[in-house]
Formats: sequence, structure tokens, C-alpha cells
Amino acid sequence: MVQATPSTQRKPQRRLDFQRMNEIGLLVVIALLYLTFYFYANNFLTFRNQVSILRDAAAFGIAAWGATLIIIAGEIDISVGPMVAFLSVCFAFLLKTEDMPMAMAFILTAVFGCALGAIPGILRAWYDVPSFIGTLGLWSALGGMALYLTDSVPVTIPPNDFLDWLGGELFGIPISAIVMFILFGIFVFISRKTAFGRSIFAIGGNASAAHLSGIKVKNIRVALFAIAGVLAAITAILLTARNGVGDASVSRSGLEFSVISAVVVGGTALSGGRGSILGTLLGIFVISLIGNGLVLMGINSYLQPVVSGVIIVAAVLLNILASRYGARRNIKGA
Amino acid sequence: MNSAAPVSRSATPIAQVTGAVKRYAGVLALDHVDFVVQPGEVRALLGKNGAGKSTLIRMLTGAEAPDEGTVRLAGQELEQAGENRTRQSAALGVRPVYQELSLVRDMSIAENMFLGVWPRRLGMLDHQEMNRRSAEALANLGLQIDPSAMIDSLSPAERQLVEIARAMMGDPKLVILDEPTSSLAAAEVEQVFAAVRRVKQRGAALIYVSHRMKEIREIADTATIMRDGKAVSTLDIRAADTREIVRMMLGHDEKRDEMVVPHASGRTLLSVRNIAYAPKLEDIGFDLAQGEVLGIAGLLGSGRTELLRIIAGLESADAGAIMLDGEDVTKESWSGMLKRGLGMTPESRKDDGIVPLLGIDENTVITDTGSVASYGILSASKIAAATRDIIQRMSVKAPTTATPIGTLSGGNQQKIVIGRWVYAGSRLLLLDEPTRGVDVEAKSQIYAIIRKLAADGKSIIFVSSEIEELPKVCDRVLVLRDGRIVETFAAPNIDTDELMTASIAGSSH
Repeated sequence: MVQATPSTQRKPQRRLDFQRMNEIGLLVVIALLYLTFYFYANNFLTFRNQVSILRDAAAFGIAAWGATLIIIAGEIDISVGPMVAFLSVCFAFLLKTEDMPMAMAFILTAVFGCALGAIPGILRAWYDVPSFIGTLGLWSALGGMALYLTDSVPVTIPPNDFLDWLGGELFGIPISAIVMFILFGIFVFISRKTAFGRSIFAIGGNASAAHLSGIKVKNIRVALFAIAGVLAAITAILLTARNGVGDASVSRSGLEFSVISAVVVGGTALSGGRGSILGTLLGIFVISLIGNGLVLMGINSYLQPVVSGVIIVAAVLLNILASRYGARRNIKGA
Repeated sequence: MNSAAPVSRSATPIAQVTGAVKRYAGVLALDHVDFVVQPGEVRALLGKNGAGKSTLIRMLTGAEAPDEGTVRLAGQELEQAGENRTRQSAALGVRPVYQELSLVRDMSIAENMFLGVWPRRLGMLDHQEMNRRSAEALANLGLQIDPSAMIDSLSPAERQLVEIARAMMGDPKLVILDEPTSSLAAAEVEQVFAAVRRVKQRGAALIYVSHRMKEIREIADTATIMRDGKAVSTLDIRAADTREIVRMMLGHDEKRDEMVVPHASGRTLLSVRNIAYAPKLEDIGFDLAQGEVLGIAGLLGSGRTELLRIIAGLESADAGAIMLDGEDVTKESWSGMLKRGLGMTPESRKDDGIVPLLGIDENTVITDTGSVASYGILSASKIAAATRDIIQRMSVKAPTTATPIGTLSGGNQQKIVIGRWVYAGSRLLLLDEPTRGVDVEAKSQIYAIIRKLAADGKSIIFVSSEIEELPKVCDRVLVLRDGRIVETFAAPNIDTDELMTASIAGSSH
């Protein structure tokens, strides 16, 4: 193919076009959801309900930053729900332990998360166990472990001012949502501005080329899953602070499903190599808006997941059609 | 139609291509080719890359139709279009066996032999029938393999034989073997030959694409030599001289003035001693000086890529030693070699070279992100500056530094894949087929880039299947054949004919 002459300098921005098109599309979807729920759902646009949406978003949004990077690298993590449940239980037990400084309970929970998360990463990097299998094992084992340790009874934590503050609000905004936004900034920075972040895109785009270019593919794969574990720990701590108990039942709340949905709705390709943290942010809002609005509309709670399921598949289908269209335009234009 | 067909020149030819012309995007791939194969004949098809061999084969299998001219199989003209043309060709008895094996690894031999057309009884797969007929087909080639064995458990040669056995089912008239021995060791080749002779005995004709003269002399009756889309000559292989064949393959319109001028080489950078890697390489040894371009010639499967991977630390040799700067690096890992200044461009640019969705910039700085970062934070301006520098030095044509590399032409992609190591400051570059799939202009630019890198003091190992380019780039050329270095040529005495002869001629010659 003959290369384009300098007169067509704008053309190569198409890759971003797709990403941006997807983001604009999601903004439109969010606007439509707002409009629909404003008319059909009671009390949707109240300040209280908006805060509630933010809190719902933060419940799975923090974990979604790590999941986005994992999926961009061409891997998958389905262990989030049980991981959060188990770490929440651990955190509660640690707080109840005598002579345990509170800071130590935080640090140990994060270390547990990091170590547990690293397991599927190590299995993937060194033994080629697909990450789906590794995290499936973790999903099952941690969910069971959390229930076994607590007998499925919530573990109450001793009264604690700092935790009360963490579970509360600052200027009316939930602390958990503030944490989510801070982490959003950090992960946007990591994914765009650090060698680690760019290596993730390179590995997802062509792992063999990345390896032959000297990128330490194995180390990065392990690091990705370890990071996801730490994010699960942060989610667990905030959840425990909010509820005042370590709760094993979170393992059955389908958190991992919300996380993966937010990432793919956000335009990250499950095949790897393409995606963005900003897209995931928008995906998180789409998912939590749908959840919130359907409840307010009084839709049967059994039907809610049906509607979410349809919306998520439709979003990904649109994503695929758009990228096909983009690919055709690229061929014609080049 | 099923009458016995002994070798007889008066019989209807099995395949007859007349005046075939085929153009791809304006390039003449076949130029009025006439080609006739008789029953029971084994015809070798020779020619360098791009000479038109594959296009001619596609005419016979019906994968493509000629722009002009006709293709007749067993006296009947191929007149269908599209997929029906392939079916018609198959119905008339043409069976291609491709170089990339097309077997499903986790299925049995029998299931593979009937892939997609499994015999059924009462709606269920009839494994007994399948195994019986497969065993029969294998036995016809003199093979004693259990048809219920998994493909996974077979050696590469056995897989090749299963492919041939599959092609032999249903009484084929013309079997086409495309470099069937390129991935096989010498002992295994004999098995394939035995199968080929059986096919011939059964009255079918064979087209055998290969460059190994020893094999061709052993197995073929006649040879057709192609060059630049023309069938230059068809001759009796017993009477033909290898040098004569090479001359016909290469032609003689090459300009001689672009030959490399040898220069005083610097100190030795890399020493390779007695490297062995069964069954591909044996007793390989050479030195590479600073500022030298060392070519490695050899056919597909001669062990070129393996040699590069061993030097790079991606494979470990069974025996031998590698020294870099006088230090023993035989056991050094890939990342250790990179730190010592090695860079390698892979044979397959698409599979192992580029990250297509990322920009030229990221595909360039991927080898050393430290130099474009401050305190771990990547600097957009540094990345752009470094990329512009490489784009300019490698004469890449690209609109912006952020253009996704997947949208560039193959030549420009390849320049970046080389350029990323220049950016990383590599002293030792291993280039595996750097001009594959690259247009003529980009090729000569890549030659110029390589010469310039050498002049800057970099040492380069240049592997190529295209014999003609070696004298244009290399100070010295080693010829690999059957896992050994059989000959060494030094500029200005690198002659394409001699290179080709050394690459293809058998040890008996």
C-alpha cells in the first residue's frame, strides 16, 4: 500500500476516533438514561439518589480500574466478588484482634489482597494456566472460605471513629466515591504515562512482539493481578466501614459481573490491546444508573438482571459493529 | 475414467495449463505459462520466491482462475468460478498438500482423514468404518500407524505422511506437495520419499515444490524452472546440471555495481563455537567483527532461525559456546542479551514484530522506555523526538509519529521494527528475513540502512532466503545446509549462482 501524502495528516487519528466515538456514545446513553428515569422513576433526580448512585458505583468501580488493565492485557479476572467478601471478613477479624493497631489491619488486608491476587497472575505467567481458570478457582475457594470462617454470620467490628468517617460522606459525597475518583486519576496516569501502563497495551496487542522487544511480560502479568487484589482490599475496607460488619455474603452479589460489564461496556476489547480507563468510568455509570433507575421504576427485581443483561450485550454488539465499520474505513482510506 | 494409466506420453495429460496469465494489482505473476504433467510423472517445480510457483499451483487447485489462458485437468477444462472451481478441481483429482500442516491436533488420524465428511451410521459417527478405511489408506503408503492415534502424538514426519495419505484417498490424479520436507530431519525425509514413490506407482502424478537438489534428483523425473512469472524451461532432471538450473532460476539481469566494497573489519564482537542443536544444527562456528554484516544463506528449514534464537538466548544449544566481547554468554538469558546490546527482528513481522494498534512512537520506544521517561513518567515530547529521529534515520514514510503502525506498508513497518533497536542503541543486530513481504523500493532502502548501521560500527547478522540480496548487503556470507556451514563467501567474491548452488546442492554433488 502506498502511504498517504502529508496532505491527509488528520487520517491517522482514527484509532482515537473509535475510542472517542465509543465515549461519546456512552455519554449519549447516560443522557438518555437520565432523561428516561427523570420522567419514569420517582425521586430519581434528588440529591440523595445521586449520592446513592455514586455509592453504588464506588462499590464495584474501584475494582474495575484493575480489571480494565487486566482485560487490556488480554486476561480476565472473575474472582472480584469472593475476593472482596473474603478480605472484608479478614479485615473485620483483624480489627477484632486484640493489640492490633488499626493501621496494621489496613496494611495486612492490602497485603492479603495483593498476595491472593498474585496467585492467578503467577499461574498465568509461569505455568500458562489461563487466567479464567486461575480466577475461577479463586472465586470458588475464597467465597467458600469467607462463609466457612464466619458461618455466614456477619462479623461485627468494634466501634471505630475513623471507620465511621470512611463509611460516611465528605461535603455530601461518599468517601468511597472520592476514593474511586482519586484512583481513577491515578489509573488514567498509569495507563497513559508510565512504561508499565504502555507495556500492558503492548502485551494485549501482541504479547510475542512485546516479549521480543524486551518487555518483561511475566512480571507485568503478575503485577496486574496483584494490583487487582489490592483494589479488592480497598473495596473490602470501604464496604466493611460502610456496613459496620465483615460480610461474607458479598461473594454472591455478582460483583465480578458488574465489574466486567462496566469494562466491556466502556469499550475495552476482551481480546486485549484496546481500551481505556475513561471508558470504564462511563461504563460504571451506565451500569449503576441502570441498576438504580430500574429499582426506582419499581421493576420486578427478578426482571432487573434481564434488562441489564440485554443492555450490556447490546452495548458490546454496538462496540463490535463500530470497530468493524472503522476497520472498513481504514482499509478504504489507507 | 478409472482405466489404469501407466506412464505414457500419448495419454491425456493429467494437467495442462495453456497460455496462463495472472496479474495481481498490476503485477504480472504468471506470464503466458504453458505447463503439462503426464500420468505417473513426478515433476519438480523450481524457482526463487515470487517466481510464480504458488500462483501456478493455485491455477491447478482452482483457488484462482487465470486472467487469460486455460487450465485443463484430465482433458476437462476448469470453467467454474469461485469456490465451485476448487470443488471441480478436487473432483477431477487434484490434491494439494500444503507446507503449513492442516491437521487438527487433538483429533485422531482417522478423524482427520475424514475431516468434515465423517462416515456416519444411524446418524452417529462410524468409527469402525473410519478406522478401517484410514488404516487402508495408510497401508497403501506403507505406513504402520494406528489410525486411532492422536495427531499430537505423531512426529512432524508422520504428520506430513498422514497429510499425504489423506490426499491419496479417493483415487487422486495429481498430488501437489509444497516443500514437504522443509521441517523434517534427513532421516524422516526418506519416509516421505517412500510415500511419494508409492503414490507414483499407483499411477498418479506429483508436483514436488522444493529447492533441495539432492531430493529432487532422487525423487523427480522432470523439472520445470520458473522465473519472473514465466516457465523458463522444463527438462529431464537426470540430464540437467545443477549450475545450469541455478542459472535459469536466477537469470542474469542483475547489476553488479551495487556490490559491497569490503572494508577493514574491526575487532571481533561475537564468536560462535561448535554450536549443536539437534536435529537442526551441528558444529556451527564463526566470528562476527564490529561493523561487519554477516549473511546467512540457506533454505527454509536449514536451521537459520534456530541459530539466531540460540545466539539471542531464546533457545539453549545442546553443545558449544558463544562469546560476546570475549565473555562467555552461552547461558545468558534473552533479557541479559538485550542488556548486553543485542537486538533481534523476527521472521514474522505480523506475529512477533509489531503491535498493530499502537502508534509508530510506542512501537519504537518499546525497547527502551527508560530513555523517554523522567522519574518513571513518560514524556510525550521525548517520545515524539526519539520517534522523529528514528523515522528520519530509517527513512520511514508516515504522516505522524502517532500513526498506528498497523496502517503502514510492510516496508515501513519493517524499518520501525529495525529502528526500535537502533533507538535502543543495540550493537549486535540479528535480522531474520528483514525484507520479507516488502516492496522493491523499501528493500533497497533497507539495504542502505543496514550498510549505514555497519558503517556506524554495528555488527549485523542478516538472514535471507533471497539469494540475490546477500551480495548487496553482506561483507561475508555463510551457507547453511543440512544443519552445517558448508561454504563461506567474502565480498567482493559473493556470487549469487555459487550461493544458490551451495544452498540447494546435495552433499553427493
